[in-house]
Amino acid sequence: MDTLHGRSERLVILGVAESDAHAVANHLIAMQLREHGFTVVNLGVCTPLADFADALDRHPRAEAVLIGSLNGHAHQDLRALPELRAAGRLRRPVVLGGNLSVGSRTTDADLQRLRDLGVDHILPDAGGLVLLLDMLDAAAREPEPQHG
Amino acid sequence: MADLHGLEISARTAAALPDWDDTVAYLASRPLPAVEVLRAADAAARPVVQPRCGVGGHGEMLGLLRELESAGPGILSVTIDSHTRLLRFDTASALLRRRPADLNGYPLVTHGWQRGRELTEAVAVPLEVRHGSPDGRDLFAVALAAGITSYEGGGIGYNLPYSKDVPLAHSLRAWQQVDALCGTLAASGVVVDRELFGTLTAVLVPPSTSLAVAVLEAVAAAREGVRCLSVAYPQGGEPHQDIAALRAVRSLAARYLDPAVEVFPVLHEFMGVFPRTPEYAGLLILQGGLLARLGGAAKVVSKTVQEAYGIPDAAANAAGVRTAALGTSDLLDFVRYDESRVAEEQHWIEREVAELVDPVLADGDLFAAVETAFAEGRLDIPFSASVHARSRVVPRRDRDGAIRYADSGSLPFSRAVLRRNAALLRDPEGARPRSLIDAATADIHYFLDKESRLPLRAPYGANSDTPPRY
Repeated sequence: MDTLHGRSERLVILGVAESDAHAVANHLIAMQLREHGFTVVNLGVCTPLADFADALDRHPRAEAVLIGSLNGHAHQDLRALPELRAAGRLRRPVVLGGNLSVGSRTTDADLQRLRDLGVDHILPDAGGLVLLLDMLDAAAREPEPQHG
Repeated sequence: MADLHGLEISARTAAALPDWDDTVAYLASRPLPAVEVLRAADAAARPVVQPRCGVGGHGEMLGLLRELESAGPGILSVTIDSHTRLLRFDTASALLRRRPADLNGYPLVTHGWQRGRELTEAVAVPLEVRHGSPDGRDLFAVALAAGITSYEGGGIGYNLPYSKDVPLAHSLRAWQQVDALCGTLAASGVVVDRELFGTLTAVLVPPSTSLAVAVLEAVAAAREGVRCLSVAYPQGGEPHQDIAALRAVRSLAARYLDPAVEVFPVLHEFMGVFPRTPEYAGLLILQGGLLARLGGAAKVVSKTVQEAYGIPDAAANAAGVRTAALGTSDLLDFVRYDESRVAEEQHWIEREVAELVDPVLADGDLFAAVETAFAEGRLDIPFSASVHARSRVVPRRDRDGAIRYADSGSLPFSRAVLRRNAALLRDPEGARPRSLIDAATADIHYFLDKESRLPLRAPYGANSDTPPRY
């Protein structure tokens, strides 16, 4: 287990978006994270956004919520994010990865629409995931800047 | 719910069916049931070829079957759309009226048994219904009434790879009823071939995982009176391992099943990420035919050179049938391989299967034992979509491409089995270490990598439809 920060456990919530049944990448990412010492709460394929929120309620120590979407329907599947955030839920970095629009090219406009929903980070390639989590973790641990 | 000789189906499906006696008489009158095709192939020691095929519209389906028949398959498929697989008959029906081309298969329940009989009578070869439903009872009732003599699926193999949250207890009981009705039919002299989907998730499935699931489903089916089983194994990519796995189907059947049950090994041509060039894809299809023959399969389910790009057109599908048949032809009868290596593989596959299934079969309540074993990881399948399997097993290819257990999770393997898998996966001295995800991705893209080292060019650009990315 990672003891770099004096903690016994780093935990993330992982799953695939509601309309998407692609299991392979999901399992590979879970394996990769476990290999790096993370505890992975894997909600698997076809997971509604509300289930991610419920999982975070059950595991409030989770560092981030990782959502995969390979079928191009990410925007549709994540459309309830603003509503859940307004209700005080899913208050952790939401990281989205995969193929994020219908068709082979994802445009800047596609990505902006996802950010407008409240998606915090978009990763085209799972290879950068652990680095991103380490950066988010470090940022979360930095002391509040002192003013005065 | 309605009851069709023990098969519980929806009242709506039941109301549309003909009398049971009519169904039995029609099945008995079929000039060539699937079991006879399999027997003949087995006797000739040369597998027949079967393509997958299914389109939404009835006229289009008739046309597709007729066009494919000209390619010389032994059996033809009626591949069912995903709404019907998930029992969403109303959605299938609405789509059929509005946009039949949007259906990814033939909605047999919606079309009904009368049109099903038109399919059956349109071609001289028998039909098999292929689907992926964890609960295929309504579909089975309609398929029987349509005179279809072969039906794919099982309570494990059609649940865990496809469904997120269908309890095994439910799917196993649904398929128990299907098998029991086959038993009833067998008593009246009608033999329905039941194919077991050992292909599972189609991604790096270790042979012993595929065959262990098939053995458990086969034992369950035989207990209900099924008399003809096709055990499908997915081509993994290493020829000795593939031949050994097909041969193991017969030895495992001899060990675990009543000799009265006819068992036919079936090869599903490579179901993973497929080569993109027609040349290399064609070679892999041809090799599948050859391996099926060498492994003693009675049937090989063919692929097409358009596999990497989606559902194939009829011409490509017919070409796939012909190419696979060439692989089974006597022109390749000179091909020899290392018999001792195959025998060694077969020994270890059988041993691994025994270590997986024996504890489960020792339990008096088979279904409860299967469910508990999956919950505890003593049975497992890699890359499952289901919350009812752990998917903690990590498969990897060894240096020759054979699929091994890099991590067997909680599978109850002996030390000898664990040692052999670990030894075969040991990296050569000085090999560059790779992350697990990189290594697994390379193993999944095995044939793409081989293809890329040949002077071939994919017919489609990088920005058009591309093979699935993992």
